[in-house]
Amino acid sequence: MLKNLKYNLPDGYDEKQFMRKLADQYTLKKEPAIAERFIFFDSFDWRLFNKSLVLYGSGNKLFLRKPAKSEIIHTIEINSLPVFIWDFPDGELKRHLAPIIKMRALLKLAEVYFRSTPYRVLNRDEKTVARLVYEDLRLSGAEDAPTLGSHLWLNPIKGYAKHSRILVQRLAAAGLTIPNKEEMFYKALAFEDKKPGSYSAKVNVQLDPDMRSDEAAKVILRFLLHVIRINETNMEEDLDTEFVHDYRVAIRRTRSALGQIQYVFPAKTTDRFKKDFAFVGKLSNELRDLDVYLLNEADYKAMLPAALRDDIDPLFDHLRKKRSKAFQKVISGLKSKKYEKILEDWEAFLNKPRPDDSAAPNAELPIIDLACKRIYKKYRSVVKAGNLILENAEDEMLHVLRIHCKKLRYLMEFFSSLFSRKKINVLIEQLKKLQDNLGDFNDLCVQEEYLLNITKELPTTHGQLKKTLVAIGSLIGTLGRERQMVKDAFAETFTDFASPENKELFQELFTSKAKKKVS
Amino acid sequence: MTTLAIYSNKGGVGKTAAAVNLSYLAAQTGAKTLLCDLDPQSSATYYFRIKPKLRSGAKGFIKGGKQVYKSVKGTDYENLDLLPADFSLRNLDITFDKLRRSKQRLKKILKPFKDQYDIIILDCPVTISILAENILNAVDLTLVPLIPTTLSVRTYRQLLTFCKKNQYAVNRIYTFFSMVDRHKKMHKELMAAMAGEFNGILQSPIPYLAQIEKMGIYREPVAVFSPRSVASKAYQNLWFRVQETILSPGRSDSL
Repeated sequence: MLKNLKYNLPDGYDEKQFMRKLADQYTLKKEPAIAERFIFFDSFDWRLFNKSLVLYGSGNKLFLRKPAKSEIIHTIEINSLPVFIWDFPDGELKRHLAPIIKMRALLKLAEVYFRSTPYRVLNRDEKTVARLVYEDLRLSGAEDAPTLGSHLWLNPIKGYAKHSRILVQRLAAAGLTIPNKEEMFYKALAFEDKKPGSYSAKVNVQLDPDMRSDEAAKVILRFLLHVIRINETNMEEDLDTEFVHDYRVAIRRTRSALGQIQYVFPAKTTDRFKKDFAFVGKLSNELRDLDVYLLNEADYKAMLPAALRDDIDPLFDHLRKKRSKAFQKVISGLKSKKYEKILEDWEAFLNKPRPDDSAAPNAELPIIDLACKRIYKKYRSVVKAGNLILENAEDEMLHVLRIHCKKLRYLMEFFSSLFSRKKINVLIEQLKKLQDNLGDFNDLCVQEEYLLNITKELPTTHGQLKKTLVAIGSLIGTLGRERQMVKDAFAETFTDFASPENKELFQELFTSKAKKKVS
Repeated sequence: MTTLAIYSNKGGVGKTAAAVNLSYLAAQTGAKTLLCDLDPQSSATYYFRIKPKLRSGAKGFIKGGKQVYKSVKGTDYENLDLLPADFSLRNLDITFDKLRRSKQRLKKILKPFKDQYDIIILDCPVTISILAENILNAVDLTLVPLIPTTLSVRTYRQLLTFCKKNQYAVNRIYTFFSMVDRHKKMHKELMAAMAGEFNGILQSPIPYLAQIEKMGIYREPVAVFSPRSVASKAYQNLWFRVQETILSPGRSDSL
């Protein structure tokens, strides 16, 4: 099959001149120009870009393709631009995107204005034997808008290959070249000063093993502060729930770093900011809880017998009202003097040059030593706590183990640049499985209790109240059964994590004993 | 994928005009469309300004496969390709007759196209011999243009009798009135009478119009050179009717 060919037109190239020259052999017929606007989308954290996907809209259509490829993976017609995955019409595009963008909002990244003028190349019978399309791309619809480039396309027509070959020769003779595969998406973003992939909530810091520990801790904490600040500014717009989520995770990691990267700062400083960040974290607790319930609305409904499904609606209406109040509370919390002072002081502390001699005992230790020590110690506490649960599974102890695991996970993520990426990732994956089990168990406990307590808050004037209570009761029952299943799975999940192979790998990576053996 | 024959065992009833306009309208909906010009007179091919020539002629055509695919030409319109006619197709009847499974030949020739196109429309020559049986075997549906005259109706009755006798499903044959002259009393009376006699009449007649004859001058579908004309609207209506009664998913599922 013949392919469309694209030629670069240098700045100021007069495509009409080329067209005039062609007139010795062919008749050219100009067709009406078509103006199109393309809008590119991605989530704030570049979920589509990270999966090598380009999503864009034009007219009433939405297209998905790979960068620098012209084949479209999916096309759909839309009445309005979707923001969330649930705004998409059911179909292949939705199925493709759902696991990628999940609950994140799609944001408009850039716009490109296309103006294309097709010319039909006619033979003596006035049959079209090829098309030449002159194409001009700009960043806005205005005539003087900055141009992103102009091209001439040669679109062959099936059955007329001979003519296309002649045109290819003539285009080459005119000095036009076929550009390398390029992606309009990147060009448009560069113009808008947006860097694809520039934001990710994942800890991404490069540490030097010989770095002083207080310096290294500040590198990590500065990264986390950056994430806090970015999400803070976006939270107010309330585009999706994940700005709050990423913000909270960064706060939690900050608290964990203060507690786990021990004795690198003066005790007074550490104590003060630990308290401060505990306060900051609490500000958004209720909002996040409500977000999670509302995000899971469909799942909860699916747990109910069909007859009760609509009866639970008053509960979610109530939660939605609570959520909008909680949101306002968070926003005013972020604007409070106390909050502003905490973050300003924190920023000033992180940017302060380090003292030559620090009173903190671990401040001058090479970070590699401190990282190994802390990670291995945390690993030991996880194993110890887990073994106790194997003997006697109390809910409270599962909770303690969950916290240990979280601290271990954060430590491994903070310091992952110091170790073999492949090996540490294996261990993080193993730990994740255990954390998923513990996390599910905790979520179910919390949800059961929350639902039980929320019944007191539901408006009694509501005619449906009794039915709603029945539905909530049924839901609590299902959650309880699920909790037991999750708990039953704990022993096997933990035993996998505490396996001799994992232990060996933990020792190899994080103990000096093993290290000496290697060197 | 649907294959639709525009067929009649009587000449000069507006087959080619219907085939050209319907295939253009099909392509305009975004469906990948192939028009096969089986008529050695090559009128459809002429309308699209394409040379009436098949690679290796009728011989290549009968072989099917790559040779036929290479003969396909892109028209001036998006999504619409044409398999040109060739003068050598005039002996198709005799050639098919000499071969094994002589009534299934056309079906086999068209098979490779089924993955490439959403809809294939055949513009058929006048025939009621072995070529007609090849057509009936190759297509999902047949659309017969019918001039409301006594002779035309008589020929249509002959076709239905032929189909019943040779066990071709009559319920896959549809018809529409073509070249209708509103001023002729006989046209009106016959159209009314036939509504009672035949099933499968698409209630969307194509009038007798000079605009349609001008296709030969413009060498374009009516909807291209005269998009707002009565003729253009008539074909548009017929295409809607074809879509809703013949090509609708419910219908093709039951085939």
